[in-house]
Amino acid sequence: MSEDTYPEPPRLAPGVAMQQPAAIVVDQSAVEAASEIEATGDASPPSALRLFLGSPSGRAGLALFVLMLLVSIWVLLTYPLDFGSAQWSNPAYWANNPRNAPPAWSTAFSGQAAVPQTVVDIDQPTETTTIPAGEVRLFSAPVDFTYDREPTSLILTLNGVTFASRAPAILVSLNRPDGGQIRLASVPLRGPRPGETAPYRRFYDVPERISLGDQPAAADAIARFYADRYPDAMLPANIESVLPAALFGIPAADGSGRIEPLHGDYRIDVQTVVANPEDEIAAMRVTLGGTVFGIMGTDGLGRDLWQGLLYGFPVALLIATLTALLSTLIGASLGILSGFAGGITDSLIQRASDIISNVPTLPLLIFIVSILGRHLWLIMLVLVAFSWPGLTILVRSMVLQLREGQLVEAARAIGASRRRIMQRHVFPQVAPFIVAQMIFFAPGAILAEASLSFLGLGDPSIPTWGQMLEAGFRTGALYVGYWWWVLPPGILIVITALAFMLLALALEPVVDPRLRRST
Amino acid sequence: MAGTVRQLALRALSLLAVLLAVLVLLVVVLGATGFSDNLLRAQVSEDVRAMRQSLSQTIRDPAELERTIEARRSELESFYGLDEPWYTRLPAAVVRVLRLDLGESRSLRTASGSRDVGAIVLERLPFTVLLLTTSSLITAAAGLLIGVRMATRVGTPLDKAVAYFAAISFAIPGWWLGILFILLFAFQLNWLPAGGMFSTPPPQATWPRLLDLGKHALLPIITLVTVSVGPYIYTVRTMTMTVAQEDHVALARAKGLPEGQVLRRHILRVAAPPIVTGLVLGLAGSLSGSILVETIFNWQGMGQLYFQAIGSLDEAVIVALTFIFTLLYVVLRFFLDVLYTILDPRVRYA
Repeated sequence: MSEDTYPEPPRLAPGVAMQQPAAIVVDQSAVEAASEIEATGDASPPSALRLFLGSPSGRAGLALFVLMLLVSIWVLLTYPLDFGSAQWSNPAYWANNPRNAPPAWSTAFSGQAAVPQTVVDIDQPTETTTIPAGEVRLFSAPVDFTYDREPTSLILTLNGVTFASRAPAILVSLNRPDGGQIRLASVPLRGPRPGETAPYRRFYDVPERISLGDQPAAADAIARFYADRYPDAMLPANIESVLPAALFGIPAADGSGRIEPLHGDYRIDVQTVVANPEDEIAAMRVTLGGTVFGIMGTDGLGRDLWQGLLYGFPVALLIATLTALLSTLIGASLGILSGFAGGITDSLIQRASDIISNVPTLPLLIFIVSILGRHLWLIMLVLVAFSWPGLTILVRSMVLQLREGQLVEAARAIGASRRRIMQRHVFPQVAPFIVAQMIFFAPGAILAEASLSFLGLGDPSIPTWGQMLEAGFRTGALYVGYWWWVLPPGILIVITALAFMLLALALEPVVDPRLRRST
Repeated sequence: MAGTVRQLALRALSLLAVLLAVLVLLVVVLGATGFSDNLLRAQVSEDVRAMRQSLSQTIRDPAELERTIEARRSELESFYGLDEPWYTRLPAAVVRVLRLDLGESRSLRTASGSRDVGAIVLERLPFTVLLLTTSSLITAAAGLLIGVRMATRVGTPLDKAVAYFAAISFAIPGWWLGILFILLFAFQLNWLPAGGMFSTPPPQATWPRLLDLGKHALLPIITLVTVSVGPYIYTVRTMTMTVAQEDHVALARAKGLPEGQVLRRHILRVAAPPIVTGLVLGLAGSLSGSILVETIFNWQGMGQLYFQAIGSLDEAVIVALTFIFTLLYVVLRFFLDVLYTILDPRVRYA
């Protein structure tokens, strides 16, 4: 008694039993194409390809797969290797971005006013004047403000300052279209420390962020300017609380005390006074914080979700292909070995498959990953370790059938060696099944990793779609309706799993002649 | 009859081997990584602290107190087996877990404040079973009813729609579907509660209380059924269709048997065993699915407990739940194996 007496359900994929048994959907047009081929008695490889490509699911699956492959290659070429740890999981990297901002295109549907994220980089001074004490350099960042809402923030980022003796003085001011010139902030720079030698370098490792939108000095300056320029207007009681709006607006004419946006050309001036001509500021950046952001918006840390979504493609493909390849390799080799060797080897392999195939994978994955550590390789290793037995049982039963068949008997009769029988007569017949099964492993692996990541057990150095969903769920994004955070990663998981499913569906009639006759 | 019993006994033995294999794996991983030592040490320190409290009342001399406590500590350490390497404790640990002596949690508690892992798990178990059995029964019933009807409509647009539904529902993670349902039914339409098991304050009378529980269970059950029913309908449809093409069915029809009888006695009877196999395979999915679906819906079952245990790094609870989930799975498998044996005469007389 064992599993072998149980008739193997013919069309259930014994894939990673994480989610559901895979019911194979028979593509009717593939079946029709197949019966045509059957009628002509031609089943050579080109016709198998034609059969595969002749079905809509085959074409759709292939198109999706190629698309995902292209995106993955692009990501691998353009992203830094340590994207996960250096950028994605590093909150400082995203500090200038607005948090929980919806995608820029979303306002086209809602009709709400929005400010897109605007970034102006400055590296060359527009004006340099020599004064007795050194040099005055003026850096300017033009901002064309045409939005009906206030920006969420105004940030100046300084990237690397070098000076030879005295620290440069840095003054930031805002030029408004109505002629106002508002002093926003002065940036304190630490002078030489005792024991430090020139040239002195500041802000090279960690860029200095100055939030210009909430400086008390700026609030005073704009209040004075308002009183001077709009003496009749009603001003808000606490101007600091409406600061970014006040910088880019004027008091409402209706006397309500509200601030209305003022459209026009603004300019942010950074004036630096350096003591030596060779002192320099490597790079500066002015960021106008948007109420909307980019193609896919941002999450609660201000991370650009579009970048994370793209990065998910190569990771998902890696998980799918590597896990599928390894499980298939192990499953098929053990199945062939078991079927051919017989005896004690056979029983050992069969008992092992019987036990391992009955282990519920997700609980064990949870256990092993939470005890041994959150590594992607470990997740894949466990998935491989528990997903091979289905294929082993299937391949063994096929090998047994073939071994007793007339073809092998005839080959044996003319003195073919076991090895030759294996290679020439058994393996070619089993191979198509193995390929189909391999593709069936893939969606299970993707879904398993996503589930695990969603439980908070994903590899922190490699962002995945499941982890993005987990972050959204953990921080309550779901309950406040941040759809751009919880929908796209899930949709991509489904599409990726579906792509592999469609490929497997289209392959089924190719590898299983029984399905071709079933209509 | 004797054959059946022997079959089932062997099957039980095989599933017991599964359970033991998982247990040994748990214990080896815990032992080899030093986790088990840490857990036991924490236990010993906890005991020693409690003892110091009570002993300091009676023993006034500090040196005497320290000596007594040290003696008791080494006594405890040898009692827990901390003075020997982990692999010699292995058999005892396996036996302890098998007797459902699961130790104490670090931070999780029962409603009444107990730290006993067994009690914590038992408190949650009924809610998980409620969710799992209800959704599995609905899936099985819907799968059988719709699948058999689909088998007579192969190739129709409806059949194709069901086929694609099956493929898509296989590709959708249940927990993500749950998120969608919460967004749609709880926040957009405001029809059903977004999570939890009872309203606040919970109704006290029996019937309103059960009704309230049912209302909260609706969305998780719909989620679990939606992801599992598609593939199952498809399995049933394909099995029924394959059997319906066999010669003995044609013969039955040729004899002029009424269609209902052909379906019941000649098609479904033959297709029954593989249909049960489909259920067996779906079981693993539902069990894993429930871990995540409970988390999404804040359903106070074992799955959500798992999530909490991972979050608070409560190893004793993680170990216990891994074991209990395997146990639950093995028990359910055995139940379905019994069903299989009853249904398939070939197994009985093999």
